[in-house]
Amino acid sequence: MTGMGDRILGLCLLVVAVAYGWVAQQWPEPFGGAEGVGPETFPTILAAVLVVGSLYLMIKPDADAKWPVGKPALELAISIVVLVVYALLLEPLGFIVSTTLAIGVLSWRMGAALGQAFLTGLISAVVVFGLFNYGLSLSLPNGLLGGF
Amino acid sequence: METMGFLMDGFAVALTPYNLMFALFGAFVGTLIGCLPGLGPANGVAILIPLAFTLGLPPETAMILLTSVYAGAMYGGRISSILLNIPGDEPAMMTCLDGYPMAQQGRAADALAISAIASFAGSLIGTIGLIILAPVLARFALTFGPVEYFALFLLAFATLGGITGKNPMKTVIAAALGIMISTVGIDISTGTQRYTAGVLELYEGIDFILAIVGLFAISELLFFVEARMGKGRSKVKVGKLTLSFKEIVSTIPTQLRGGVLGFIAGVLPGAGASLGSFISYTLEKSVIGKKGRFGEGDIRGVVAPEAGNNGAASGALVPMLTLGVPGSGTTAVLLAMLISLNITPGPLMFTQNADIVWGVIAALLMGNVLLLVLNIPMIGVFVRLLSVPPMYLLPIVTMVAFVGIYSISHSTFDLYFMIVFGVGGFVLRKLEIPMVPIILGLLLGPEMEKNLGHALILSDGDWMTLWSSPLAIGLWLVAGLGLVLPTLVGPLLRRRMRSAIKEGPVSD
Repeated sequence: MTGMGDRILGLCLLVVAVAYGWVAQQWPEPFGGAEGVGPETFPTILAAVLVVGSLYLMIKPDADAKWPVGKPALELAISIVVLVVYALLLEPLGFIVSTTLAIGVLSWRMGAALGQAFLTGLISAVVVFGLFNYGLSLSLPNGLLGGF
Repeated sequence: METMGFLMDGFAVALTPYNLMFALFGAFVGTLIGCLPGLGPANGVAILIPLAFTLGLPPETAMILLTSVYAGAMYGGRISSILLNIPGDEPAMMTCLDGYPMAQQGRAADALAISAIASFAGSLIGTIGLIILAPVLARFALTFGPVEYFALFLLAFATLGGITGKNPMKTVIAAALGIMISTVGIDISTGTQRYTAGVLELYEGIDFILAIVGLFAISELLFFVEARMGKGRSKVKVGKLTLSFKEIVSTIPTQLRGGVLGFIAGVLPGAGASLGSFISYTLEKSVIGKKGRFGEGDIRGVVAPEAGNNGAASGALVPMLTLGVPGSGTTAVLLAMLISLNITPGPLMFTQNADIVWGVIAALLMGNVLLLVLNIPMIGVFVRLLSVPPMYLLPIVTMVAFVGIYSISHSTFDLYFMIVFGVGGFVLRKLEIPMVPIILGLLLGPEMEKNLGHALILSDGDWMTLWSSPLAIGLWLVAGLGLVLPTLVGPLLRRRMRSAIKEGPVSD
């Protein structure tokens, strides 16, 4: 069946819309009573709009996009993992080390030679760190290189 | 003549050495961003917002910096169009048509120079239009009440997909999603906690800056990873400049026509820079007729779209500055900056923050002169930077975006959030859900709710008030048209644009 992507998206959005609208009905009435518009009025309208939109998507989906499978999908997963790990390690390892690693891995996976990728990472990490810490006096985490 | 006085004050703001320095920096960086394929103006401005914010720049300087980046990106887009036959950003795609053939015939330097001049002319015409039109529109907008504003916001969403937009329903969905995200946090008028799930970080709502950077910068990186375009492409050599003075003079009518048309397209909701350059090119083709050699490297084929898209870029600032309703992705991002600076966009800005508005307008004029000066002698620098393959560049840009976000709050929580937005943005873009309405929803959601609330309180809860004034009805009608027209006219226009260009736009 064509248009699976849109149909699945429509289904997910329908769930989101219903949940969003339902939650809005649970809020206690604000102190002093509602005057025409309560906190739930606007979200309720939005939920209705999204319900209509998601139903439309399921009934009249567009042609499917080309989804990455195999190697490109793996590369994508790697990139996302790199970003998450970067956010995780930024404070413990410090800016220079973690940025060198992140840029290195990303450039390498995008097709650069291994050595060049990490060299680029190191140079840009040091330059950005210097610029931020000394030029703009915004402190980035030092981490391992404590006294740098 | 009042306007002239304000403009002079604006120049006084823009010409301080401090602001001038940032304008120059912005123009340079903007050109760079524009010429790199995959980094459009919206993207570039989004990445620079956290920087402008953490630097603690005063509001007028921050706005001058970002407007210069915006103008610069419009200039830069043409460089890769001409040399690589890949538009650096969407509005620059019409420039490929005659720019690349010119480059192949060994006239790359001429094409670059004349397009810089055309960009300057287009931008100048657009900015003059902005100076004349903006105060008038701002004065008119003062008569708007909450009802009209609510209708106006709807109009902005409805027309955002543009006449060339594909599926208007997807624009609606995107807008609804964006507004929904904006309702997270404590409700301003009643103090009710909405969708916070008790997470402290969510009490103040989701910061739209990290959403914007995630949606644009991170999803762009993922697109590059998927397409494996890391190596870049081969480019044409830039030869000697052989452009004669006579040739420049001969294109002046084209520049005027392109600039004016572009400006009009920029001001109108739903048209934008891409359509501006398309219309200018098409009109030029029919005006010149058989005498031209369009598509084979006619110099006017480079001038018309460049004047058009730069005129449109200035035109797009008109609704953003006067109504607080942006008509394009990049102006939406500029609006995000204004809101984060605690400036309420809209007609009152012209009286309450006159120094900022006129400072920005003056900076736009200054920036254009700077850009022209930068772009002719320094073209070699940009060309060389163009040969830096994206596989090095994009990771670095992404990391700079991370650092920018991190330095605002010093919390890694925000970074995770940004990644979530990036991955979500990638999936949604794959499904052809446009990003710009999401961002506009994030920005305008709270304002929309506030105006709806005010309107209903004034009318004692009567919903018919939303259709009570002729102006509001007019706005609703245009909004309706904005959603219906694309399904009727869209396929036709898209087909004509596609038959004109083989290669589609990379991003918005």
